[in-house]
Amino acid sequence: MIIVAGIDIGSRAAKAVIMKNGTIISTTICDTGPESVKTANTTINSVLKGAGLSLDAVDYVVATGYGRILVPFAQENVSEISCHARGINWYYPSVRTILDMGGQDCKAIRCDAEGHVTNFVMNDKCAGGTGRFLEMIAEVLGIKLGEIGDLALKSQKAISFNTICAVFARSEAIAHVRKGVASSDILAGLNEAIATRCLNLLLKVSIEKDFTITGGIAKNKGMVAKISEKVGLEPLLADDPQIIGAVGAALFAQERYMGKESREEAKLQYGYNDGTGDYYITIDSRKCDGCGKCVRVCPAAVLEIVQEDGRKQPKAKVTEAARKRLSILCPGYHICSSSGEENCRSVCQHDAISLSW
Amino acid sequence: MKTLGVDIGSLNIKAVVLGDDGILGASIVPPGDEIEAGARKAIGMALAQASLSNNSLPAAATGTGAKLISFIPQQKAITTCLARGIHYLLPSARMVIDMGAESTTILKVNERGRLADWVNHDKCASGTGLFLQQMAKLMGVPLEEMAHLSLQAHARADISNTCAVFAESEVISHVHRDPPTPKEDIVAGIYASIVSRTMSLCKRVGITKDVAVTGGVALNDGLVNIMEQELGFKVLKPKSPQIVAALGAAIIAEETAEKGTK
Repeated sequence: MIIVAGIDIGSRAAKAVIMKNGTIISTTICDTGPESVKTANTTINSVLKGAGLSLDAVDYVVATGYGRILVPFAQENVSEISCHARGINWYYPSVRTILDMGGQDCKAIRCDAEGHVTNFVMNDKCAGGTGRFLEMIAEVLGIKLGEIGDLALKSQKAISFNTICAVFARSEAIAHVRKGVASSDILAGLNEAIATRCLNLLLKVSIEKDFTITGGIAKNKGMVAKISEKVGLEPLLADDPQIIGAVGAALFAQERYMGKESREEAKLQYGYNDGTGDYYITIDSRKCDGCGKCVRVCPAAVLEIVQEDGRKQPKAKVTEAARKRLSILCPGYHICSSSGEENCRSVCQHDAISLSW
Repeated sequence: MKTLGVDIGSLNIKAVVLGDDGILGASIVPPGDEIEAGARKAIGMALAQASLSNNSLPAAATGTGAKLISFIPQQKAITTCLARGIHYLLPSARMVIDMGAESTTILKVNERGRLADWVNHDKCASGTGLFLQQMAKLMGVPLEEMAHLSLQAHARADISNTCAVFAESEVISHVHRDPPTPKEDIVAGIYASIVSRTMSLCKRVGITKDVAVTGGVALNDGLVNIMEQELGFKVLKPKSPQIVAALGAAIIAEETAEKGTK
């Protein structure tokens, strides 16, 4: 008998799943508090209580999500991107494109028939189009977050927003409320703006059938309807799209407990898209041999070589500190290549690096 | 000749009456609900200051809301107006950093006060005056006091997010940290994050001396201080940095009127 747990500490909610011999026996969703360790403990206790087990009975725990490093009882942590791909593969093996809409970020992920990530892009630098954005607008309109999906569906005439910036959108929403525009029309306009943004993210990894939406926002019916309209595909939704990351983590825990090696992720895109444009550095980890030349020539020191647990070869990565301000730190390929000096792309023998600007 | 320039910003409407010997009157008023009424009020105040009642001076309008007022047919881009305005006040300036409530514009000016190059950021609230206002509200410190606080800072709190919404959460976590990060250091951190955002824009057009700072945010000594530290030299500040674009509009109105009489 194998009992494993997956825990996903997100920016706004923490999710956990317990699996016994490959079947889910307990799930939970808790709020993320200011202290990550405390949140992790509360979440695991809640899911263990549901299963009637104690932590000693669990063979292996894998943590994922934004707070995955601070889970004291986890044997290992895996990126949430891998976990979402693996989790949805367990529900629907035919899914190839995933849109994960979380509290503070939004990701488009492509995966293969075995649930391995082949490509992804994420936006975690701008609040436009995230759960936090919806929360702010719900606050302005004075309605509960859980009600906004149904309310948006009642709209007669969606108003259009001029901006995707959450701060500017809030001012716009306030102005509309003052003018007496119906809440449902404001929400429908907002969903439209967010859906357009998600579509752009999806187009970057290219959309292939089947398609799914995961994360807390996937519970918002109005948003799901808008996105499927834009994408032109009906998403295959799991019973609870919010726990997919935790399910994936539990599946990884099961594999690791049985001693399977992990496979490399393919293309890793670091960066974001904000109001001023796209800023992504893509590193193809199948091509990268970890030679470190790019790290030495970068004038802004945004790259580093990292040896990840369980991987044989070190790989180039964008440093954690640089990921959220790439457009400010990295001068961009055109400026670097026109300076006449060596740059990350010119020194890479395997052509593993590309920049979007 | 006397002319009138109006700048319809997102937070304030600015009007300037320009005569042959300099600025005769200037006003800054919040627009209220009706932009046109706000603009008329601003113009009225500037005219009164110049002891004029004549409302038929040659005029030009600029700013984000210029197209919302119908009674001034001549409308000019804010960049052109800023270039003319700064050249009038500080002729040695070759670069202008204009930081307004909802946008940041960087422009380069040649020796004749003509626009040479520019970039602007108006797509999101990061690094704008609105961002500062929101932070002041969050910390419960008036905007003016924030500037004084930052001058007493010993360190700069690390604010890694440029998104105004995410930066808010970061500031909250600094406030609630044990022990809490000193307020002065948080404010200095906020300013540093805005400045780094602005510097990346400046780099796109290339930094050229002298640099002048305009717009409402230029009134903030603390922020300008951090900007000077990052640039490594002193910047020029016009006496009333908020009215530069309106002044430029008045200069353009004068140029157009002169062309017409020739």
